[in-house]
Amino acid sequence: MPWLGLPPFYASFLYLVLHWVVLATSWNLLCGYSGYFSFGHGAFFGAGVYTTATLAGTWDVPFLWTLPAAAAVAALLGVALGAVVFRVRRVRGELFALLTLAVTFVLATVIANTPIDGGPGVYLSAVPLPTLAPDPAGTFYLLALALATLTIALAYAIRRARLGLALFAIHDDEDAAEVMGVPTYRCKLAAFALSCGLAGAAGGVQALFVSYVTTGSVFNITVPLTVVLMSVLGGTRHWAGPALGALVITVLLYAFTAADQAIVGKAAVGAVLLAAILFVPDGLLGRLRPRKRPVAEVTADIVAVPHALPAGAPLLRVTGLRKSFRGVRALDGLDLVVHQGEILGIVGPNGSGKSTLINVVSGHYRADAGSIQFAGRELAHLPAHRIARGGIARTYQIPRPFAHLSVLDNVALTARFGEARLSREVAEAQGLRWLQFTGLAARAHVLPGELNLHQTKFLELARALASRPRLVLLDEVLSGLAPAEIDEAIALIRRIRDQGTTIILVEHLMRVMTTLPDRIVVIDQGRVLAQGSAREVMARGDVVTAYLGAAHA
Amino acid sequence: MLELSDVRVDYGAAAALSHITLVIGAGELVCVVGPNGAGKTTLINAIAGLHRVKSGRMTLDGRDIARLPPHRYCSAGIALVPEGRRLFGTMTVRENLELGAFGRQARAARARSLAQVCTMFPAVGERLDRIAGTLSGGQQQMVAIGRALMACPRLLLLDEPSLGLAPVIVGDLFRAIRSIHAAGTAVLLVEQNVTMALDLATRAYVLDEGRIVTSGAPDVIAADPALRRAYLGVAAE
Amino acid sequence: MTFPSATLLAQSALSGLFIGALYGLLGLGVSLSWGLLHVINLAHFGFAFLAAYLCYQLAGTGHVDPLLTLALIVPTFFALGVLVQWLLGRFRVTPLNSLLATFGLTAIIEAFIQWIWTADFRRLESSYAGEKIRVGALFVPVPELVTLVLALALSFMVYAVLRHTDWGKALRALAEDAPIASAFGVNAKASALLLSGVCAALAGVAGVCLAIGFTLTPAQMYAWVGVVFAAVMLGGLGSAIGPLVAGIVIGVSEALTAAVASPSWSPIVSFTLLILLLLLRPGKA
Repeated sequence: MPWLGLPPFYASFLYLVLHWVVLATSWNLLCGYSGYFSFGHGAFFGAGVYTTATLAGTWDVPFLWTLPAAAAVAALLGVALGAVVFRVRRVRGELFALLTLAVTFVLATVIANTPIDGGPGVYLSAVPLPTLAPDPAGTFYLLALALATLTIALAYAIRRARLGLALFAIHDDEDAAEVMGVPTYRCKLAAFALSCGLAGAAGGVQALFVSYVTTGSVFNITVPLTVVLMSVLGGTRHWAGPALGALVITVLLYAFTAADQAIVGKAAVGAVLLAAILFVPDGLLGRLRPRKRPVAEVTADIVAVPHALPAGAPLLRVTGLRKSFRGVRALDGLDLVVHQGEILGIVGPNGSGKSTLINVVSGHYRADAGSIQFAGRELAHLPAHRIARGGIARTYQIPRPFAHLSVLDNVALTARFGEARLSREVAEAQGLRWLQFTGLAARAHVLPGELNLHQTKFLELARALASRPRLVLLDEVLSGLAPAEIDEAIALIRRIRDQGTTIILVEHLMRVMTTLPDRIVVIDQGRVLAQGSAREVMARGDVVTAYLGAAHA
Repeated sequence: MLELSDVRVDYGAAAALSHITLVIGAGELVCVVGPNGAGKTTLINAIAGLHRVKSGRMTLDGRDIARLPPHRYCSAGIALVPEGRRLFGTMTVRENLELGAFGRQARAARARSLAQVCTMFPAVGERLDRIAGTLSGGQQQMVAIGRALMACPRLLLLDEPSLGLAPVIVGDLFRAIRSIHAAGTAVLLVEQNVTMALDLATRAYVLDEGRIVTSGAPDVIAADPALRRAYLGVAAE
Repeated sequence: MTFPSATLLAQSALSGLFIGALYGLLGLGVSLSWGLLHVINLAHFGFAFLAAYLCYQLAGTGHVDPLLTLALIVPTFFALGVLVQWLLGRFRVTPLNSLLATFGLTAIIEAFIQWIWTADFRRLESSYAGEKIRVGALFVPVPELVTLVLALALSFMVYAVLRHTDWGKALRALAEDAPIASAFGVNAKASALLLSGVCAALAGVAGVCLAIGFTLTPAQMYAWVGVVFAAVMLGGLGSAIGPLVAGIVIGVSEALTAAVASPSWSPIVSFTLLILLLLLRPGKA
């Protein structure tokens, strides 16, 4: 470990910087990456402080042993909280921030009123400090350095791993991520546990550093607000952002305090945060994009669709499906069979239930009643990410790409979380292959915002296909496209079917629906009205009435 | 009175509407029909000021309204009955109606307008103090129309008023629209229910894939194969 | 441990009522801002404390009745509120970011206060600082009573405006469906500026109440954040009477907990209520 032989003063200063690096970076693991802004980091920090204070101060456990315990207690607390809160769908954004803030004060009150602290605080000056360095300041510096190195390494590793991709997707569009196969609940819980554990460890070290802890000094609003400030300033999407923010703010505050201008320092920090939110909302490192790797040669072959049934066998069987929204019956006993290898077209007047059908089959909504049998498995009450893993993919009528992930990452995500659970390299190679299939290979490293509508729709398509689904649900993928683009899309859809994927196509464009699908199903008022070839079906009296009104039949 | 000339409206990067040229004269009842995704709602929203016009001219009595800020459209004489009603669901029916007459001129005539709306829609008059969100679909639609009438508009915009409503209610609604028109207000009606729309209109346009494919008198349009092709993809037998 | 007497409990409940009224008064501006403007304004607390210190300065050195300082404070803070909303609107700040941006502003205000008035404790010695009215066996401190009266008056006034005036209804409509409200002539931008000004003015009034009833020190402003947000969420975003009722409920339960159990347990009440509410109640508060 780098021992610089610095005088105690500098070692202490470095300790402070590293301490904040740990706190800010650990906060960012959940909150910055996934967008679940917590104002409760102080609670877990405090839990770590008091674990060490209790174990070392009251029970004479050797100090170094208390650190893993502090981390464990804080992590457990986080998991317990997350297990409950992450199940409640609407507690996101500001509500999550407030809830975590409230937890901090509740924990503080409990600790202050029980023998853990009881009020007067805990004295730790009698606790022996291990001599890792010639003087105490140096020891603390080394401990903080070890913890900071661990934290930053974790932040970097997560960023590159499947978990990081998942968290970033959750940040941009949690519901879409879930439908693309990301187990959102588990990912959030994992990140939260790590985040809290590291904060707890930092708390454990801090307990001895200050050597006298009270609930007032530990559980105040400073820690949670400061870590947010540091991360936002440095850039919450970058693994090193919070560390940079911590360095800048600590140095800034110190400079002002040393010059006897602590008050100005406080104002300066506030001004910096305000300016950051207004002018640089992505943070200092936020604009940094990963180096644009040259687009690799597309070498991968298209992976075959797993477990393909014989052509014509029933792949999806929907029976008696019902779904209501606030009294309106969107699906009212819908029955449908889709056969392996076919392109099934679904049409119907506005409000007939087409999109709801797609949303229910893909797991975006839960059905109220009915069954969805897919290749023999019942899907109706599975969470969306399990349905995606089972081999069903979808596109959205209004495209919902993950706005902060590159085009390639968008596509590789489903490959990594799909049935095959591919590794990063293989998933990216597959992703490139699908981008080439849809003509987007040259745009692999741009952000989705830079694509036009046609390209965004094709991105949705590539993303849906990258997990090698057995069935893909296309929800008005052609709407808004120019005629030439539509012809291109039609050819693409045919090739998708040739590659082994069964397709359900919801569309309004009648001239396409008469030529592309093998079979048409007309849906009206949540039920199937007619099925057959396009020509037969669209000439039927009841279908014409459904569209045009009675007089035209 | 209202003139659109080569108007283009974008949805994100793509053109939702292009080369739209249409005219509504004072006292006319013009309807715009077309299949889903054709851009009917985008068109009405653009005329109401909810959606920016990308290029082209949009004038009311010769005055360019395309660059007005959204809250000035109402005082220019345009009132909207949006798709899906979009009432202020947590507020009472009376408050919804009163908000229709928020503009200065309309406010002066508020009491009289309210009486007229209650006469036209007795069901609304009986429920003035109910929370708007608790009314049935048909009743909400009447409130939405009433709200627009409270603005004393010269041009009333109706976006798919029959959506999601039972045929009986739709009949009542269209009768009300007919009497509004008879009283002298110009009306632009966007509808999915082609039969009833063409029944009412003095003139019609057919919109498909963001463009106007045909226009003219209602009986001519009804027989036009382009209409059937746009909706059903197949020509009439 | 002996159970407190009825008189003591009643006195505790009464003091809980008063502090609850102040929670409600502080919460009123926060609730309107969050519910109707979709801005989570932490700077509200900064403004309140700044107003408190201004009142302290004017009433203390100027020997003016503290309530008269409202004549200067209300318009000044109204203008400040308009300015802040203009900034937030100009940069299109999202609700979550508004929380962060206003926190930055609060830190600046705190530093400003500390620079001018130092961190020393400041207590306004006004004519009614120590006065009490006796009602039966109970004592009613006059400053707290003034706070309660102001809180009640302002809450009901805001309620009346929101419910019965055209502008109030326009604000509620804007909060529910801004594009359609605009389509009927409501000027969204102007309304937002005006409302923000009113919220800041309300913070100013709360500040005067703080000045007459409490000892001031800059760091204290953060102590109110948690409890007031609890009152706001319990009372319902955008509600006028809600924060007051919720504030009083919280204040009284805190005071009774303090009397029956021990003062250090009282914070748990509001925060536990807040947590339970967030988890169990459908929709946003």
